[in-house]
Amino acid sequence: MPKPSLAERLDQTIEAMLGHRQPPSAVGQVDELVRLAAELRDLPRKEFKQYLKSDLQRRATMTTTTVNPIREGFHTLTPYLVVKGAAEVLEFVKKAFGAQEMMRFKLPDGSIMHSEFRVGDSMVELADANEQHPAIPATVHLKVEDVDAAYQRALQAGGTSLYPPTDQEYGERDGGVKDPGGNHWYIGSPRGESHFLPDQRNVTPYMHVSGAARCIEFLKRAFAAEEVTRHQTPDGFVHHAKMRIGDSVLEMGEAHGEFPAMPLNLHLYVPETDALYRRALAAGAASVREPRDEPYGDRSAGVRDPFGNIWWIATHIKDVH
Amino acid sequence: MAFPRRALRSDADERLLVEAAQADPARFAELYELHFERVYAFIAGRVRHRQEAEDLTSQVFQRALENLRRFEWRGAPFAAWLLRIAANAMTDRWQSVAREQDDPPPEPPDQAAAEDIERRALLFELVEALAPDQQRVIVARFVEEKSIRDIAQELGRTEGAVKQLQLRALANLRVRMQRGRPKPKPGTPGGRRANA
Repeated sequence: MPKPSLAERLDQTIEAMLGHRQPPSAVGQVDELVRLAAELRDLPRKEFKQYLKSDLQRRATMTTTTVNPIREGFHTLTPYLVVKGAAEVLEFVKKAFGAQEMMRFKLPDGSIMHSEFRVGDSMVELADANEQHPAIPATVHLKVEDVDAAYQRALQAGGTSLYPPTDQEYGERDGGVKDPGGNHWYIGSPRGESHFLPDQRNVTPYMHVSGAARCIEFLKRAFAAEEVTRHQTPDGFVHHAKMRIGDSVLEMGEAHGEFPAMPLNLHLYVPETDALYRRALAAGAASVREPRDEPYGDRSAGVRDPFGNIWWIATHIKDVH
Repeated sequence: MAFPRRALRSDADERLLVEAAQADPARFAELYELHFERVYAFIAGRVRHRQEAEDLTSQVFQRALENLRRFEWRGAPFAAWLLRIAANAMTDRWQSVAREQDDPPPEPPDQAAAEDIERRALLFELVEALAPDQQRVIVARFVEEKSIRDIAQELGRTEGAVKQLQLRALANLRVRMQRGRPKPKPGTPGGRRANA
């Protein structure tokens, strides 16, 4: 039988060492290497070293600045509309809803990299789709004073009707309009005993999801969401649910028939991006982008939940002027 | 070969780094890079599980960052301060969880222990200077505790080739350990002190 090679003998001894077994005899030549190998079992993980470094950098930044973790003017949840033809959508919301453009960054090709507009007490973000960020038109529930007037203006501004203003049994007069970018706007106003929460703002993201009941449980685990109301049939079909995340409300309904699943792209401001990112992954979300500090003063990370929604978790860490 | 950056530092450089970080905590990252392996080696040699070593190492650097302004340069190297924090953190842990175990409470390292920490910290740093395939085998084998077969599959190599890589990696580490850290450049005072 040929003598085993040095590499082979070394590995037999390492195998025994890793399994806490007696090594084969006559180790002589490989002794010193096995001692190194034994010490290498304590080798730190590279990912840990990197993670701790960014954690310390974040803490270092926090010790030098005390800023509100939610950027000024924003709330916990903000819908981020990613569409083809963002400029048209921006014109649409101005004409239809009196939106105020707050910010617009254009790429050299003229497309909108990022923009922000305000409707009443709420912010909405908007950007052109590209290869990296494909279009993900959203459903937005918009609270207005005069549903009929807003609905008419929306049609004149280039929207197409989803359904005309109607007095609904759930305590709202509402009409639906699709904007030039494909976003659905439920334009509504409370009527009588309304389902609107007293502190519900002008803009509420609306999630049409397949498996709403499961999604609710996921949101509780991943983002500490709190269930406020849920209307469901005895067999578990969720007609409508309201969740509270931080200072914001998220509405949800089971996808069906003329309301197919429509995942949302959401901006979520939290006190600790890294912690919530890890919590979301532990709850079953997939990483879209690891936490990092952005030049505009936020630390942010991205995850995709099992229902196709994309969440941009962010903490405002410094004011950039 | 690529020597780790930290091996080129002198005490004077380090003192400047500490003062810079005291003025601007964002500079703490440089001290972290310089001392991570040392602190980790000290802790990992005294606790039983990787998770525990990571938790304690995090605590040490977090406490160091919080208390950085209180560190005064009195000739004792910054490393000694960090290892003292580490010993305290391990004692706290020992008091809260290990009463039922027979382990003695950890002490700050004595001279012999300090040399051992330096040696293992150097070993950890040198792994990062290995060729990527050798590095991968070391991490897969000893950190992730994978079998030679699994590593061979992952790398698309034969098991024999992986065993050769393992041998070469360890042999390279042995040679580089014997060389130690390069001597400080002329004109820099002292050079790194190995003891804490």
